[in-house]
Amino acid sequence: MTSTLPAVTTAKVPAQRQPAPEERSTGRTTPPKPTRLRSSRPDLLLCGALLVAILVVQGWNIGSYPTLSDDEGTYLAQAWAVQQGKGLAHYTYWYDHPPLGWIQIAVLTWIPSLISPESMTVGSMRVMMLVISGVSAVLVFVLGRRLSLPRWAAGLGMVIFGLSPLSVVLQREIFLDNLAVMWTLLAFTLAASPSRHLWHHFGAGIAAATAVLTKETMLVILPAVLLTMWRHGHRDTRKFALTGAITACALIGFSYPLFAVLKGELFPGGGHVSLIDGLKYQMTRPGSGFILDRGSGSWGVLQSWLYYDRVLIVGGLAGALLLLATWRWSVTARALAGPCLAVAILAVVAMRPNGYLPAMYIIQALPFLALVLAGGTASVAHAVLRRWRSTGEKRFVTSGRYALAAALALAAGAYVVPHWYEGDRVAVTADANAPYRAASKWLATEVDDPTDTRVLVDDALWLDLVHAGYEPGLGVIWFYKADLDPAVTKTMPRGWKDLDYVVASPTVRRDAVDLPNVKAAIQHSTPVATFGTGEDRIEIRQIQTTGSASGGER
Amino acid sequence: MTSVFIAAVSLALFWMAAFTLWWQMHAWRTPEVLASTRFSSPDGDQHVSFSLLLPARHEQAVLDHTIQRLLESTHTDFEIIVIVGHDDPETTAVAERAAERDARVRVVVDTHEKKNKPKAMNTALPHCRGDVVGVFDAEDQVHPELLAHVDHAFRTTGADVVQGGVQLINFHSSWYSLRNCLEYFFWFRSRLHLHAQKGFIPLGGNTVFVRTDVLREADGWDPNCLAEDCDLGVRLSSVGKKVVVAYDSDMVTREETPGSLMSLLKQRTRWNQGFLQVYRKKDWKQLPGFGQRLLARYTLMTPFFQAFSGVVIPLNVAIALFLDVPVGVAFITFLPAVTALVTFVFEIVGLHDFGKQYGLRVRFVHYVKLLVGGPFYQVLLAGAAVRAVWREQRGQNDWELTTHVGAHLTEADVIQESREDVPA
Repeated sequence: MTSTLPAVTTAKVPAQRQPAPEERSTGRTTPPKPTRLRSSRPDLLLCGALLVAILVVQGWNIGSYPTLSDDEGTYLAQAWAVQQGKGLAHYTYWYDHPPLGWIQIAVLTWIPSLISPESMTVGSMRVMMLVISGVSAVLVFVLGRRLSLPRWAAGLGMVIFGLSPLSVVLQREIFLDNLAVMWTLLAFTLAASPSRHLWHHFGAGIAAATAVLTKETMLVILPAVLLTMWRHGHRDTRKFALTGAITACALIGFSYPLFAVLKGELFPGGGHVSLIDGLKYQMTRPGSGFILDRGSGSWGVLQSWLYYDRVLIVGGLAGALLLLATWRWSVTARALAGPCLAVAILAVVAMRPNGYLPAMYIIQALPFLALVLAGGTASVAHAVLRRWRSTGEKRFVTSGRYALAAALALAAGAYVVPHWYEGDRVAVTADANAPYRAASKWLATEVDDPTDTRVLVDDALWLDLVHAGYEPGLGVIWFYKADLDPAVTKTMPRGWKDLDYVVASPTVRRDAVDLPNVKAAIQHSTPVATFGTGEDRIEIRQIQTTGSASGGER
Repeated sequence: MTSVFIAAVSLALFWMAAFTLWWQMHAWRTPEVLASTRFSSPDGDQHVSFSLLLPARHEQAVLDHTIQRLLESTHTDFEIIVIVGHDDPETTAVAERAAERDARVRVVVDTHEKKNKPKAMNTALPHCRGDVVGVFDAEDQVHPELLAHVDHAFRTTGADVVQGGVQLINFHSSWYSLRNCLEYFFWFRSRLHLHAQKGFIPLGGNTVFVRTDVLREADGWDPNCLAEDCDLGVRLSSVGKKVVVAYDSDMVTREETPGSLMSLLKQRTRWNQGFLQVYRKKDWKQLPGFGQRLLARYTLMTPFFQAFSGVVIPLNVAIALFLDVPVGVAFITFLPAVTALVTFVFEIVGLHDFGKQYGLRVRFVHYVKLLVGGPFYQVLLAGAAVRAVWREQRGQNDWELTTHVGAHLTEADVIQESREDVPA
C-alpha cells in the first residue's frame, strides 16, 4: 500500500504474528501442538460415542435406583422454593450451604417444571442430572486431552468417570457435589487452555468460585486448579493470568458474605440466622472417626464406596502414587500434576483423625481419580511399549512388548469388566424406590383432607406431598424441623398431639433418636400402611391422640 | 422504578468498564500476542532515510542533551530538524550551536504569531528530505538503536506509519506521576496494539514515524487541533493507511511526567479537548466497519465516560449499602465496583511488570500509593474532563503548554549536560 494510490480502506490490519518465545522453565518436553479438539474428527467421534454410552447407562432406570436420599429431597425442595419465588428455601434459609447449588438446580428444572409441575419430585427430576453428568464426562475427556493424554487414555478416563458403578450411583442423585464437580472440571479445563489466554484463566477463576459457591468443600481443591494454571501459563504472561484468576475467584467468592451483609445476617444476633452461625455449625459437626479405624462411621462410609467400586478408588490412589513416584522421568506424571494434587489433597482431608466424612465426599474425587488412573495406565503403557526402545530393536523384543501390553490389558479387563457389569446391571434394573412411590400414592389418595392434615416426612417425599395438596412447610413438614425450627415448633404448642401422621422412613427412624418431638410422634402412633420390608420399610403411622396418651410424654 | 434505573446505570457502567479492561489487557491475552507487540530485530539492512522533527520551545535546558542522544543513533541516514520560535532566542542559540557542530542538524524557525506544535511541524514539513518523518519532543531520551528498528519495521510490514513506545519513567516523583507512568505503560504497551489491529488508532505525540509522502498528502498536521497527534492517526487510519505499533522496553522513548498537579491537569484538559475536537471533526466516520466506528466513538469519548464512571461508581456502592433496594438489584450495583477492583489488581501487577521491564525498584509504598491514589486520580481525570468541555464550549482553543524540569534524567546526566553547556 503506497501513498500514491487512492486511499484504500482495509477492514482490519492483522497484528504481526510472532511465535511466543520458547520457555524452558517447566522442563516439559513440548507436546505436538494439538490441533483444535473441536475440529478433530477422531476425538469428536470417540467422545460422542462414549457420551452416548454413559448417558444410556446413567439414564436407564435413573428414578428407581439408588434409593431416594434425604439430601436430594432437601435440595430439590429448595430449588422448588426458588422457582416459586419463596426465597432461597421454604423454611428459613440458615446458611447451611451457599445457595448457588440449588439455584442452579432451579434453573435446570425450570422448563420441565413449567411443562409439568407435578414432575418436580426427586424421582422424576433425577433425569436432569444427566445434563450435569454428560457435561462433566465431556469435560473429563477434554481435560485429559489438554493435559496431553493420548486419545485412548482420555477416553479411558471418561469411561472410568462415567461408567464406574460408584459414579453411576452417585452421579444419578441430585447432589450439589455433582454440580460443583462440573464447575471444578470447567475450571481445570480453562486453566489448561492451550491458547494460554488471559481471559480463559480469568474464566477458570470464575468457574472455580462458582464451584465453591455450589458446594463449599471444593475450596480444598483450588490449589490444584492453581497448579494446573501455573504449569500451563507462559513465563511472560503468567503473572497477569494467575492474578487475574485469583482475583476473579476471590471477588465471586466474596459475593456470598456480601449477600449476608446486604441481608444484615453476617454476624450472629438475636432473632435471625447468620453466616457465622452457619459456618460454626459446619465446622463443629460431630466427627465420624478415623477412616481406617474399623467400626468408625468413616470406615463404614469407605466400605460403602468400596462396595460399589474398588477399581476406581484403589486404582486411582495407586495411579496417583505411581505418577508421584515417576515424577522425574514421566512426562505424563508432570502433565497430570493438577489432578494428582487434587487426589492427594482429598485423600489427606479424608484421613483427618476425627473429621466428618459424608457419603458424598467421594463425588468430588471421582473425576480426578479417573484421570489419574487413566494417566497411570497411559504411563505404564508407554513404559511397556516405548521406553528404552531403539530403532534397531529386535523384532521379537517388540512383539514381546505388545504381547505384554495385551496381557496386562486382558488381565485388567478380566478383573474390571465383570465387576462393573454386575454393578451397572443392578443400576439399570433394580427398583429401590417402590416403597417411596407407594407411600406417596397412599398419602395422596387415602387421606381425606390433605389441606388440613399435618404430616412429618423426610425430605425426599416432601415435594410429592406438596403436589398432592398438603400445605408446604406447616402441613407437610420436614421431620427434623418439628424439633429444630422455632418457626415450626411455635405452631405445635401441644407437641406431637398437633400432628396427624408421621412417615417413618429409614432416615426418620435413624434420626428420631436425637429429635424428641419426632420420637414422641413415632411412639404415639400406629402404622396404617407399611411398604417394603425389614430395615428399608416405610411406615405411614397415624398419631393416636386418644387411648394411648398414657404411653407417656417425657 | 429507582431499582430499574440503578440497575440500568450499573449495567451500562459495568460493560463500559469491562470493555476498557479487556482492551487495556490486550497485549497480555496470550504469550503470542505479547510477542507480536515487540519490534522484530533489524537485519542490518538500511534503506529508509529519516527526517526527525524536534520542536522546541523555551526548552534550552534539555534540548542539547536530546540532540546529542539522537546523534548517537546507529542508523546511517537521518537528519534532525530543530524547530524553534522566532521569539525564543535562548533555545535558538542552543539549536544553532548544535547545527554548527554536526551537519546532520538543521534549524527551522517558526514565525507564526500564535505558536503551537502542529504549526511548528507544518513549517518544517517542506524542508524534510527523508523518506520518513519522525517526531520527537525536546525532552525525549531516544534509544540509539530505535531508528534501525523502525527502518526494519517499515520495510518488513509495508507500514505507512510506525508508532514506537513512549514511557514516562519517573514514577517515584509523586503519587500522580506513579499513576501517570502506569497509564502510559498500559497505553503503549497494550492498548495501542489493539487499535493498530482494529485499524483505528489515535497516534501518540512523539516517537511516531510517517512516510513523508503520506504525510504531505494528508496536508500535515491540523494546526487548529489541540490533539494534533491523535487527529493525524485518526485521519490516516480512517483512510486505510497501515499503522504498525511496536513496543520494546529498552527501545521506548523516555519522558517525564508534568512537574505539578496543575500542569498535569492542564495537559489532560488539552488532550480531552483535543479528543473532543477530533470527535467533532468526524473523520472517523469514514471507517468502513461498524465495529471500528464504534471503537472510534468510544475511544474519543473515553475521557468523559471515565469522568462519569469515576463519580457514579462510589455513588452506586453507597446506594447498594445504605438504601433499601432488593438484594438482586444491590448485587447488580456492585458489578461496576467489581470491574474497578479487577482493574486495580491488574494495575498492581502492571506496576510490578513495569518495574521488572525497566529494572526499576518498585517498593511496597509505591503499591500503596497506587491504590490510595486511585480515587484521587479519578477525581483529577474527572476535573480535566469537565474543564475540557467547559473550555470547548467557550471556544478557548489555546495551548496550555507543560513545562519540563528534567526529572527523568538521572543526576549524572544533568550534571554532564550543564558541563557541556559551559564551554560552548
